[in-house]
Amino acid sequence: MTSLEISFFVLALTCCALATTGYLLSLLVKKIVLAKGSTWILAGGALFLTFNLLLGAANSSGWVNFGSRHFLSIYAWTIAGIYLGLQFKTKTRLLGAFIAPIILLFLIAAAGQESDKNLVPPQWQGWLTTFHLVLAIAGEALFVLASAAGAMFMIQNNLLKNKKPGKMGRLLPSLSDLDWINHLGLLWGFPLLTLGMIGGAVYAAFVWGGFWPADPKVIWSFAIWMVYGFLLHQRLAIGWKGSRMAALSCLAFLLFLLSALVIRYCFSTVHNFI
Amino acid sequence: MIVLVGLNHKTAPLAVRERLFAGCQGEVNLLAELLVIDGVREILHLSTCNRVELVASVDETSAAVEAIKSFLAKYGSLSNDEAASCLYGYRDDEAIKHLFRVTSSLDSLVMGEAQILGQVKDAYRQALALNATGIALNRLMHRAFRTAKRVRTETGIAANPVSVSFAAVELAKKIFGTLFGKKILIIGAGEMAELTCTHLIGNGAEDIIVANRSLAQAELLAEKYHGRAIGLPALDEALCDADIVISSTGAPSYIVTQDMVRHCLRKRKNRLLFLVDIAVPRDIDPAADSIENVYLYNIDNLQDIVDENVKNRRREALKAEEIIKEEVAQYANWLKELKAVPTIVSLRGKAEGIVSAELEKARNWMGNLENTDREKVEALVNSIVNKILHAPVAVMKEESVEFNSKDIVAAARQLFRLDD
Repeated sequence: MTSLEISFFVLALTCCALATTGYLLSLLVKKIVLAKGSTWILAGGALFLTFNLLLGAANSSGWVNFGSRHFLSIYAWTIAGIYLGLQFKTKTRLLGAFIAPIILLFLIAAAGQESDKNLVPPQWQGWLTTFHLVLAIAGEALFVLASAAGAMFMIQNNLLKNKKPGKMGRLLPSLSDLDWINHLGLLWGFPLLTLGMIGGAVYAAFVWGGFWPADPKVIWSFAIWMVYGFLLHQRLAIGWKGSRMAALSCLAFLLFLLSALVIRYCFSTVHNFI
Repeated sequence: MIVLVGLNHKTAPLAVRERLFAGCQGEVNLLAELLVIDGVREILHLSTCNRVELVASVDETSAAVEAIKSFLAKYGSLSNDEAASCLYGYRDDEAIKHLFRVTSSLDSLVMGEAQILGQVKDAYRQALALNATGIALNRLMHRAFRTAKRVRTETGIAANPVSVSFAAVELAKKIFGTLFGKKILIIGAGEMAELTCTHLIGNGAEDIIVANRSLAQAELLAEKYHGRAIGLPALDEALCDADIVISSTGAPSYIVTQDMVRHCLRKRKNRLLFLVDIAVPRDIDPAADSIENVYLYNIDNLQDIVDENVKNRRREALKAEEIIKEEVAQYANWLKELKAVPTIVSLRGKAEGIVSAELEKARNWMGNLENTDREKVEALVNSIVNKILHAPVAVMKEESVEFNSKDIVAAARQLFRLDD
């Protein structure tokens, strides 16, 4: 990794840490202006991370130097990108208080990785792997966003149901906006993850001669894919909305997090770079 | 000296306020007549439904306050007792503070309301048009507007609604984000329901359905809001359609039951529903609140929010008082400095006169100099004079802020022979 790459990464990490602090402070002192400022700082961080990733891509040939650090960075970048994009449409600045810490965690985890260790074996590298990874990451990032919106919905819902909106209720985004983000996250996240998984399966069929490698990550991912699929189905076909959707999204996210951690530390898997 | 004389909702009953209001409104040349009073230099007349006040810049006598008081008593046909109990008169810092508190809406009936600032601005505009204000009041009013702006932006005094109807609108925004395109269903009719409906429309809500036991009455109200009227039997269907329901009928039992809400929610695919029940006895079964995605607020819930907001405003008012204290001190200092201003002006005038006379005398020999050299000599002379004057001017300003500057001003006039 070149020193310029490192500088951009450090800048991105600093911006993200500042934005996280700003968002949390904004919750604490109940001033929306802090969250607005933090959104701009987060945008700056995303920009620095973009430079870092572009430089990384330019300096390596294909997948040769791509390791855990890059994957975690791409995760962080995708979540930040989607969240910031949504800010053009809705006034949900404070949702950043839930999103920014997640991005920060991804970046800290990325910083802790051996930077140039290549974890995708050369014989696997190819456009289908890229397709599989990019779509799976984008799909999961959208689920993260849907769940964060769901969590915030539950808080706001609780305040409004208890007839005590108070300062906090005034600060948090409206229920409709949060529900809309949850809807959007599921609506786009699910097809992207589906395509990503199909890409992975097709690739597996070519390389290993079977669609279904008995890999713990694959099995868990499939389970989670089913959970999110169920949620999307209930939302679109049955018309579940609002608090029930919010609660289930949070639950699904916890499951997702748990699976990621368990697989990372307890199993050996071909997906050991995430 | 700044003085403020008048009465407000705290000191005078409505009947007295009305009389004075009408008396002052009826008089076209009110300000001109006030300016005739001995010692009154500048004057401004503020008149709203809650107060009638005169702000004046007067000579340093106590007679002016009494003169203005009796002027008001005459116009309001106030008896001696009424005048004594209702009229107040403030001087100096107290008067400035009172004006700043009024402009910042700390003295209003509903603390933090926004109208008063506009009313004070209108009063100032009127006085300006009649040339009734001068340097002291102009500055005072600009300071008052500045203070009001600071209070509004730096404290939360105007942040949260303190009326039930606005509280309902705020809640609707917290549920739906924007109210554009939202449908409102009004059940029954009542002043509060109509007021809430008007506020909702003001915030973008569009489609209005009016339900009433008597269809004719429903139609009457629907016409007003360009909505449609229905009878109570069609309520089920309307519930499925509406986003916000405001109910205020005089019915003795529940008009909207839990089952009706549950049923309609299924039909509307769980879209969020905001129910506002401002009727006593209640119109909507409180059990409906336990249904997911339904937010039911009754009059007590709304009143609790309003009470909480009023409490917050009182807390914020303490911060506002600090701001006002600062601003009053700044203006009072400026006003004190103003006392030394005529002397400073004549001192500078005298010095400038001497400089130009001396330069005129030297014109002959200076004619031999190059243009640039001549300019340099002139600049040098001006600079020396300014440096010499700097200390006495600064001391006069300081003295006038910290002490009464009379002695030092008199000394300066004598030392520099300014009165010759």
